[in-house]
Amino acid sequence: MPRFSLFYRLICRPLWAEPARTALAALAIALGVAVVLAIDLAGNAATGSFHSSLETLAGDNDLEIVATGGVPERVVGALAAMPYALRISPRIDGYAVLTDTRQSVPLIGLDLVANVSELSTRPSGVDIANLQDSLKYLSDYDTVWLGESFKRGIGDRVPLLINDHLAEYTVRGVFPDSNGSAAAIVMDIATAQRALGRLGTIDRVLVKIPQEMTLDTWQQRLSAILPAGTEVRLAGTSTAENRKMLAAFRWNLRLLSYIALVVGAFLIYNTISVSVVRRRADIGIVRALGASRAAVLIAFLGEAFCFGLLGTVLGLPVGRLMASVAIKLMSATVESLYVSSRPGPLDLDAGAVILAFIIGIGVSVASAYSPAREASLVAPVEAMARGRREYLAAVHKLRDLLWAFALGFAALAASRAPAVGGKPLLGYLATLLLILASALAIPAFVAGAMHLAGRSLGKLFGVEALLASRSLSASLRRTSVLVGALSTAIAMMTAVGIMVGSFRQTVLLWMEDQLPADLYMRPAGNVGPDRHPTISTDLVETIAHLPAVAAIDRLREYEISYDGMPAGLASIELNVLRSYHNVDFLSGRSTNAVLADLRGQNAVIVSEPFANKHQVRAGHSITLSMGETRSGFRIADIYYDYSSERGTILIDRETLLRYLPDPAPSNLAIYVAPGTSIADARATIEHAAAGRRVLLFTNRDLRGEALRIFDRTFAITYALEAVAVIIAVMGVAGSLLALVIDRRRELALLRFLGAASAQIRKLIVAEAALLGMLATAAGVALGFTLSLILVFVINKQSFGWTIRFHWPVAVLVGALSVVYLATVLAGLYPANVAVRLRPIEVVHEE
Amino acid sequence: MRNSLAFLTGLLLLFPVSSQEFRLALPGYHYEFPRDHFSHPDFQTEWWYYTGNVRAAGGHRFGFELTFFRQALDRNPSKTSVWDVRDLYLAHLALSDLDARGFYYAERLNRSGPGIAGVRQNDGRIWNGNWRIDWKGNEQTLQAIDNRFTIELDLRAEKPPIIHGENGVSQKADGPGRASHYISLTRLAAKGQITLGGKPFEVSGLAWMDHEFFTHQLDADQAGWDWLSVQLEDDTELMLFRIRRKDGSIDPYSSGTFIDAQGRSMHLRDSDFVLRPLNDRWKSKATNADYPIHWRITIPKLRMDFEIQTSLPSQELTGGSRLAPNYWEGSVQINGRKGEAPLAGVGYLEMTGYDRPVEMGR
Amino acid sequence: MPALSFHHVTKDYITDDQRVRALDSVSLDIASGEFVALVGRSGCGKSTLLNLAGAMDFPTAGEVLVGGVATSSLKDSALTKLRREKVGFIFQSFQLLHTLTVFENVELPLLLAGQRNARASAAERLALVELEGLGERYPHQLSGGQMQRVAIARALIHRPSILLADEPTGNLDTATGNVILQLLLGVTREQHTATIMATHSVEAAALANVVVRLRDGRIQEIERR
Repeated sequence: MPRFSLFYRLICRPLWAEPARTALAALAIALGVAVVLAIDLAGNAATGSFHSSLETLAGDNDLEIVATGGVPERVVGALAAMPYALRISPRIDGYAVLTDTRQSVPLIGLDLVANVSELSTRPSGVDIANLQDSLKYLSDYDTVWLGESFKRGIGDRVPLLINDHLAEYTVRGVFPDSNGSAAAIVMDIATAQRALGRLGTIDRVLVKIPQEMTLDTWQQRLSAILPAGTEVRLAGTSTAENRKMLAAFRWNLRLLSYIALVVGAFLIYNTISVSVVRRRADIGIVRALGASRAAVLIAFLGEAFCFGLLGTVLGLPVGRLMASVAIKLMSATVESLYVSSRPGPLDLDAGAVILAFIIGIGVSVASAYSPAREASLVAPVEAMARGRREYLAAVHKLRDLLWAFALGFAALAASRAPAVGGKPLLGYLATLLLILASALAIPAFVAGAMHLAGRSLGKLFGVEALLASRSLSASLRRTSVLVGALSTAIAMMTAVGIMVGSFRQTVLLWMEDQLPADLYMRPAGNVGPDRHPTISTDLVETIAHLPAVAAIDRLREYEISYDGMPAGLASIELNVLRSYHNVDFLSGRSTNAVLADLRGQNAVIVSEPFANKHQVRAGHSITLSMGETRSGFRIADIYYDYSSERGTILIDRETLLRYLPDPAPSNLAIYVAPGTSIADARATIEHAAAGRRVLLFTNRDLRGEALRIFDRTFAITYALEAVAVIIAVMGVAGSLLALVIDRRRELALLRFLGAASAQIRKLIVAEAALLGMLATAAGVALGFTLSLILVFVINKQSFGWTIRFHWPVAVLVGALSVVYLATVLAGLYPANVAVRLRPIEVVHEE
Repeated sequence: MRNSLAFLTGLLLLFPVSSQEFRLALPGYHYEFPRDHFSHPDFQTEWWYYTGNVRAAGGHRFGFELTFFRQALDRNPSKTSVWDVRDLYLAHLALSDLDARGFYYAERLNRSGPGIAGVRQNDGRIWNGNWRIDWKGNEQTLQAIDNRFTIELDLRAEKPPIIHGENGVSQKADGPGRASHYISLTRLAAKGQITLGGKPFEVSGLAWMDHEFFTHQLDADQAGWDWLSVQLEDDTELMLFRIRRKDGSIDPYSSGTFIDAQGRSMHLRDSDFVLRPLNDRWKSKATNADYPIHWRITIPKLRMDFEIQTSLPSQELTGGSRLAPNYWEGSVQINGRKGEAPLAGVGYLEMTGYDRPVEMGR
Repeated sequence: MPALSFHHVTKDYITDDQRVRALDSVSLDIASGEFVALVGRSGCGKSTLLNLAGAMDFPTAGEVLVGGVATSSLKDSALTKLRREKVGFIFQSFQLLHTLTVFENVELPLLLAGQRNARASAAERLALVELEGLGERYPHQLSGGQMQRVAIARALIHRPSILLADEPTGNLDTATGNVILQLLLGVTREQHTATIMATHSVEAAALANVVVRLRDGRIQEIERR
């Protein structure tokens, strides 16, 4: 028998014959592929192609020289005098908000004079048209050059909000910025220093070195003439470091997206199993006619291939569409939790398409292997045997249960292992093992539940429930796969729901403790996890001396690089902290005891994520570069912190000022004097700050904003779970449809025996409801277990914070009810198909 | 004179410069060294010009040029940041590989910034990045680093500084202050190393330094000039320049100086010498400028008659930069006679305004 | 009044755009307690006649009266009610639900009709077909004859007035078939049902009160004994 006609007879005809079922199977794969693709594409755009704004207009430099709090500017002269053909580009890196369009834009200060000569190579890589002409305005400190994409003309006035100042600047030139990817505001370095209040220092020196000799050699040569606190590193290090940091975030999302695919795989497995069971006689016939085992195996794998192919083709456009939504959510998260960035373009390139096909078809074929192999084992004599098959499947349920226990123990062991290379690999393994264990335990669970419930179901809900429960336990394998798929989706939803809920609750409680001040002030200029604009010191002094103000805590934060990862270095005021504030430390020591260790000492406290990320404990010493020096600091203790995943080092303000004398704070925590109402104090402060661009938050505002960011951050997580659940529910619909078709004889018989069509409908819906109930029960149990791993293992290992367990009851009940309802509704279409069957044709067809 | 005038012109177009607050070069200036080897911030424009002809042990000949140029923008006291631009520092560097017929040049523009460029008498330093002159007593070291070549030379003055012109000023046009203070070290013994293409050459030879400072010295009718320094084998030197006017005539303010073996100078007026191009010309493919590369000098009162030729016709600097016009500046050989005796020497020739008139006015 | 009447019943099916006449102007009255054998070749219309008799289908022309009520005049719910109260079906391949026990199979019509406690009736019917004590078994644990007895018990559970059997012995060996036939005959007498049995078997037909011979959808002969 030619292979194709075998394939046609066994596979294609049945597929065409049931378009709805075929479509559902393909759709399940399509959604799975779409989600994976969407997260991959969006992840690429939002994080993978992350370019630090520090790379904007950075040219083709090899090395960069940086220092916490800025590089002393005299370094530039020393570098320029070195007897090597180096290209030295000093640079100021800041941010400004174009207040008329509310765009937050990198503000770059360059030595534009050095850019004028066309005989020397351009240090900055910025190609400003007619720069020579516009240098006429060099001495006007309102001169800016803008990227073309801002669409401003020469001579236009632009309002820029920088730190707490708003001022108008004049556009003196534009430069090409490749459609906004290098969009920036360029100032001459002298203007930029003034605008940002950074006289005396520059942020970086970019260096291009001659070809000969290694980067290392140059790094050493340069370091030799630089102050100890400066660091010579590869250009683009900040991008690399941030990418490394973002990789974990991306990894977690990617894994979540695979859940949808796993659920899809369950359903393909189910679909092919159904095909095999149904076409057993056909398989027997073609085997009797001479088809080889391999041919049958290939034919069924071919069916899965068709689903995979069709699913991927459908999934590609859907994935692209989802990606455009996902990228917004992801970049918002990156922006609020990690680093200022602009998402790159969504790039559905050949690689991504090929990967989608590999995933779609691969998962489909792989999940079909077991049933296809079973098909190939059908003996030709079985051609005429029917109906006995299902009973055999049930025999293995105890053996599977034992396996489930074994995997469960393995999961327990894996969950206790430490992180591998900063990633909770074994935690994820534990999750996977638990899902597998649950899949294996489900046949026993379903059989047990049905056995226990059996008669009482009939008594309670009528004959339809009895028939439904019997039908489900009779086709145990099929039912188990369905319950497995749906319960996996529900479990993930539950687990993530619990994790996020616990996290949220933890943050809420923490904020109660951590935001003790009445009012908080920050500059209106662009604030981000890696951006710390400052408040003018004169304003700070004014506020400190207002009678309505009891005390202020001047917080100053710097963006630093510690051990190859970005981190925050912030100063606190011990006096204020001691009298107003309790900090929770891992050691459980009192705030006063710990803070006493900091006073006048080279000592710091670090946040829990910092300690976990860098494997440090109280008593350890860390070396910090500050200004021109490098010094060791003892870690006095570790404090709980949920404000930044990057990790923060806190230091006494007095100590910090010794190293970095810039007194301008990034934030103010203001304690209102006793007897003054917060509203009055606020009015007084606002009056004092008139003309300055600062934002004043009450304690409540700040908490509200924090929660808003929190919720936005996890929106994508919910979306991913929703897709997994949708796939599972679709699978329920498809499988019930198959079930209806397989049981049409029985359904017809019931009509002969006096069943009304409403009863037939009720029967099918009852099956959906039972499936939903089983899946919900199994899913919540599995979900709870998974949530323990998420909260106490994966979260801890990948983000480094301790979360207190909390049941988000309302959210869970709501979500589960929706899923349950959706499952029941998924039974409606198959139920209608069942009702439309013509009983006499069915019964007499034999 | 020198091409720095042209840089000036370019810079004047680029930056708003007020010359009101600067001092003019007027007769009677009291020179004092080493003070006057360094910066004169009261004057708007100032340059230090090093040229020379050196030879490696194996006979390989090089010419070099290193120019430091200072142009003041303003003296606004509100400029307090080191990055504020009070002066612009321009520098040109060129190496002529006379035997291998290679010509390399580079340009730099900087502000003084945190020590990027400047002139500092305390340290005895005139620099623009790692192109620098360091004075130690009567000796100077010259260092210039480019990605293709490096020059490191010790320069020892064999004669005291020469002050050109009359009464301390070198007049360039009609009117008080249309002049410069012009100092030269006309015979600097040069010894050191030139690296080209990774290959070091131990070299020695003669160098020449010009140092000029002034405010606002030019005339709008002037179209270009030819400038020449000559170091003769009898230990004497000549400096000559002629200014070409737009109408084709030679400006009567053209002048020169003769320095005898004892270091005494003699001012040469326009009428004292003839500096005349012969027919041999080199046409630049880059700028279409047609440069006379074969000249004749006659100075009747010194009984001098020389021909000037170059072994490398392509010593043209074309940056495309609007900071400077395209110009030819290069090493030349001098052959001829003084009286009856044959006399030869080396020198540097500069020619501007051959592609188009140099814009002098503002 | 006959338990079941056919008045000039014609039934056409449309298959592959072709009209096939399954029954052609059939008229027949069957009284309670009558055991009718319907004989004829495959495709002569036996099954169609049974379906019409069981109110599972409607005639194209003419009337089928069950207990004096024309099936064509009834809506779906009334037809379901009619089947629940008056008709019992027995099939060649028994048509037991393998997921249900013998008891549950037998009870099924009552359960579907909304009755809760049918176990006593089921036990009684099982006793009638001499299967006491097998109620908790599953169909696949029974022999073919036993399965057909269960099917008969199920068909009788709601005390139908009409019993429709489609080749009830077709899947059984002769001896077992005879036992089943005797059982059906006995049930017809004792339960006073109007029983119609479609059959190929001459022996089976020989037991009937009335033999109706069908050929190409027409009644060829009605033989009353």
